[in-house]
Amino acid sequence: MDRPPLIAMAEGFDIDHLAKLARLNLTAEEKALYSSQLNQILGHFQTLAKADLPETIDLARVVSESALRSDEPGPVLGAEAVTRIAPASRDGQISVPRVVDDEA
Amino acid sequence: MADALHTLSAAELGRRLSAGLLTSRTLCEALIARYHLVNKKVGAFTHLDEADVLAQAEASDARRKAGEGRGPLEGIPVAIKDNIAVKGQPLTCSSKMLASLVSPYDAHVTERLRAAGAILYGRLNMDEFAMGSSTENSAIQKTFNPWDLACIPGGSSGGSAAALAAGLVPLALGSDTGGSIRQPASHCGVVGLKPTYGLISRFGLVAFASSLDQIGPMARCIEDCELLLRALASADARDMTCFGPSDRAFTPAGDAKKLRIGIPKGFLGKGVGAEVATAVTAAIEFYRSQGCAISEVELPSADLAVPTYYVVATAEASSNLGRYDGVRYGHRSASAGTPVEMMTNSRSEGFGAEVKRRILLGTFVLSAGYADAYYMRALRARSKIRAEYLAALATVDVLLTPTVPTPAFKVGEKASDPLQLYLEDIFTIPANLAGLPAISVPCGKSGHLPVGFHLVGAPLSEAKLLAAGRLFEAAHGFAHQQAAL
Repeated sequence: MDRPPLIAMAEGFDIDHLAKLARLNLTAEEKALYSSQLNQILGHFQTLAKADLPETIDLARVVSESALRSDEPGPVLGAEAVTRIAPASRDGQISVPRVVDDEA
Repeated sequence: MADALHTLSAAELGRRLSAGLLTSRTLCEALIARYHLVNKKVGAFTHLDEADVLAQAEASDARRKAGEGRGPLEGIPVAIKDNIAVKGQPLTCSSKMLASLVSPYDAHVTERLRAAGAILYGRLNMDEFAMGSSTENSAIQKTFNPWDLACIPGGSSGGSAAALAAGLVPLALGSDTGGSIRQPASHCGVVGLKPTYGLISRFGLVAFASSLDQIGPMARCIEDCELLLRALASADARDMTCFGPSDRAFTPAGDAKKLRIGIPKGFLGKGVGAEVATAVTAAIEFYRSQGCAISEVELPSADLAVPTYYVVATAEASSNLGRYDGVRYGHRSASAGTPVEMMTNSRSEGFGAEVKRRILLGTFVLSAGYADAYYMRALRARSKIRAEYLAALATVDVLLTPTVPTPAFKVGEKASDPLQLYLEDIFTIPANLAGLPAISVPCGKSGHLPVGFHLVGAPLSEAKLLAAGRLFEAAHGFAHQQAAL
């Protein structure tokens, strides 16, 4: 009753918008399949909408020992190790398609 | 053949190595021969560098000869799920996205195993990025249940469980985000333990859902499971959720016959297969006959666990998997004119169907207009579930349920129904949501397929879970059964 977003979900699932946010290209078949499956899964999630839940979120770790460490430099992977696993590199640096247009 | 090396426990192998009755080289040669005999049938390993294994074994034998042995795991092979980093070995997460990645560093657990003298023994198949319950989502190969090769081994650590059940290796590492150690352990008739959140460092574990992920030990018996757990647990400043000195988890549990065991109301009812219910009921009666106090406990929010988990886990996954953009490592699409095309094409080509489905779901539950209704509500539900578990575990020592409602199903049987598969995790998920330790212990068969029961305990009660498992195992001997292959 006071939770319209869950109801709104069932009425329309903007798969194109989601795919864009997630940086995924989907074929027409994939869009149809995922829309149907996600709607089914989200339908199951309706139990969450109906549940009587606490207002506050208490997710402090179950074991409360502090794990903060001192902020000191430690070993890191060198440029050689990093560029060896990169898809493309040049002169010890990772290369990517041109980001800024010449005309800009 | 009862004495064949592939049938022995890690603890027994360790005793023979210590006594000079066996060398690590001989052991590894026997397991490599076993690998050639059965891995093609089972599909547990995706990679095994035999020369490297034998070199490690010779180095271990030399250490032992020089009186420099490093403890009970010295010379013992440990196989590793393919989402845990071992320097110089593949780290594919069974995904096309990372098909050619060779890890440039060791995970913390890998460092621990090296320091313990263990042999880092190959890479194990898994559901892609640990997303799945059947290992059918691997982009590399299928893995089959050694007890019935037409059935799934469970997942996502299906390669780990199948390797143990097939006698391919005595010890294995898995990772568990919603049941990925315990569910395949149950389906393959082996022991799998998910530790208290923070007991074992996640440094070098490829992230799926960081607030839920834990690395854990898998073995054919309780003694081996404890041996591996002790080797893995230690402080690590590189994982700020890892709290370090873990003696509390190993404080002797006292007399296992005095444990108070809670049976959650309704958990043996709907959806639980008849033979699973029979085997788990028999386990409850066994504990009662030993003198344990058995009582029924209420967990009123149990129905919220699956939806809560799939909101939280997919939200975190959609964020964690944002790093696969084709820039620094992993697959980069050959057709990429602009940076955005490069990212989008690389992700679309590199990820499989289940990973895409979960990224889309996680993106949705975090998106503007829906985050309050889904993600924030799920966090509130998570708080409630955790509070109920902690309250129940203030009155009993452990909670006992089946690990999985039904035995392993046929390969392909549920591939087109993701929601059905998500419901496989109904008994295992709450331990992840609440950060609690939990174990699956083999307790019988449904037909010829293994069934396990599941114990959850309070934070850092690993010793109680192991003691309870040991009591059951000693009386039943499932640990000594092997699948015929």
